[in-house]
Amino acid sequence: MKKLIILCTVLMLALSCKKEQANEAPKVAVVISTLNNPWFVFLAETAASNAQKLGYDAKIFDSQNNPATESDHFENLISAGFDAILFNPTDADGSVANILKAKAAGVPVFCMDREVNADDAATCQILSDNYSGCVELGIDFVKTMKETGKYVEIIGLVGDNNTWARSNGFHSVVDKFPGLKMVAQQSGDFDRNKAMEVLETILQANPDIDAVFCGNDAMALGAFQALQAAGKADIIKVFGFDGADEVVAKIEEGKIMATGMQHPEVMAEYAARYAHEYFTGRREFPQRIPVEVELVTKSNADQFIKK
Amino acid sequence: MKKETLKKFQSLLALLILCVLISILTDKFLSASNLWNVLRQISVNVCISVGMTLVVLMAGIDLSVGSILAFTSAVCAGLLTQGIAFESMDLYIGFTWVGAIVVALIAGLLLGLFNGFVITKFDIPPFVATLAMLTMARGATMLYTGGIPIANLGEKFERLGSGWLLGIPIPVWITLTVVGAGIFLSRKTNFGKYVYAIGGNEKAAFLSGINTKFVKLMVYGISGITAAIGGVLVTARLNSAQPNAGTSYELDAIAAVVIGGTSLSGGVGTITGTVIGAAIIGVLNNGLVLLNVSPFWQQVIKGLVILLAVIIDKKSKK
Repeated sequence: MKKLIILCTVLMLALSCKKEQANEAPKVAVVISTLNNPWFVFLAETAASNAQKLGYDAKIFDSQNNPATESDHFENLISAGFDAILFNPTDADGSVANILKAKAAGVPVFCMDREVNADDAATCQILSDNYSGCVELGIDFVKTMKETGKYVEIIGLVGDNNTWARSNGFHSVVDKFPGLKMVAQQSGDFDRNKAMEVLETILQANPDIDAVFCGNDAMALGAFQALQAAGKADIIKVFGFDGADEVVAKIEEGKIMATGMQHPEVMAEYAARYAHEYFTGRREFPQRIPVEVELVTKSNADQFIKK
Repeated sequence: MKKETLKKFQSLLALLILCVLISILTDKFLSASNLWNVLRQISVNVCISVGMTLVVLMAGIDLSVGSILAFTSAVCAGLLTQGIAFESMDLYIGFTWVGAIVVALIAGLLLGLFNGFVITKFDIPPFVATLAMLTMARGATMLYTGGIPIANLGEKFERLGSGWLLGIPIPVWITLTVVGAGIFLSRKTNFGKYVYAIGGNEKAAFLSGINTKFVKLMVYGISGITAAIGGVLVTARLNSAQPNAGTSYELDAIAAVVIGGTSLSGGVGTITGTVIGAAIIGVLNNGLVLLNVSPFWQQVIKGLVILLAVIIDKKSKK
């Protein structure tokens, strides 16, 4: 019992400390779908550091790809008195309810990268256009392949909406060319090891393929590794998506053909700046702001190499 | 003894039937290069499963192996690329690939021993203790890597994952060594007998003078080491450490153990059985991709096969 009282006192003290801080500067929460992927770690940290640069207290919350965990975070954030949420949703439909909760409590939500299927929930959605990005990539794919050849597609997690936005964008172009034949479509779970193992096996069934399209760059690197081990890295062309440093370097060396460069730093910057403008009185924001995905090929890879 | 051999035969038979089925459906399966692929691909799961078998034989469970794998992988890669720097003392320690591997294995051992310590000292169910380690080791991995993969670990280290020795891939050699050590430990040593005894009846084992706490502690330590060996193998194969490596590998290992005929209530089972169990999973993964089965269906089929294998095993025991 004594211990319990002490614990409660400590907790209350800790909580009251937090309250006092709140009066000094608005608090910004960054709720990110997952920290299990370097791309999202970068998005979250850039958003938080941008908010801090603008003078706000910023904290990162990891939803672990689980809308239920995300829901808990939102409830806690609202009751802890956070003033804005920079949000990377776990699910296009499942996250809407969470945003509405925040809206009802008067906390603005700025979505980054992933879209939610609602027009009146988030204050603003700053989105990476995965579909159009992969349309661009598909056009380059068709050109590089000279409209003929057999290829393999390694898609990401089958339950993830980005997986299908990318795949559909790619196929919206490539399927129009009957000379391009997809001989296998398998999942690599966005994982380098899984993609490598899957391609090793696919190569056994289809040793004569000409290209591999991967739904992200981690899988493109895994695919490249499998091709290298099989001595086919020079013959079979690899395409990725994301714009990871390692892939951009390989594109410049001519080992990987192309990738779609996303701009997490731009999305993070927008979200933080809009939160700032909200605090200073702005209320009207466009519902959707698409952030362009740039095609990276050998001809322009040097511009994307980080020095 | 006769029953034991019969049971081993049972899972081996299941594996053969599966192989025959797949080779009827596709002629790509029975090629030397494909079979080497399968062996290379199951090597990580087999290593982890050897440790897991010992744990399950004691009626325990180790859910932390996937996270320990990721942590040791990160430590190994981090030491290779960055070493350890003590900036305040202007001291820098670099690591050769052997040194990095040794430290990674020690890290795995310590995490495993910590599991064993918590379980024996505080009498906490293994499920809970190792579940806590699953989260902690994953978090530690994220802290150490900052959530970003560590790449380009050098040619010598990469050879460990993709090289060949005397016509056999190096990861397969490593796995064979681990399996051999596991079989020797479980069959030929007193320690192995104690493990079976504890799984059969812990109280009886204790009363007959076995230091059950010590044996448990060591078995969780061994499971940590085998997970770390798996970690080194994954790192070498990818020539990089991925912070999210090994996610749900504990489930693959448990599946291999169970398909291989080891009872989750302890005391019954063999490491050879587990190796066959892992081979069944590996062959199935390989076959489904060779046949270009939709990824949605693959999960359903894998679940069904696990169920079927266990049902057959249960029936044959009666």
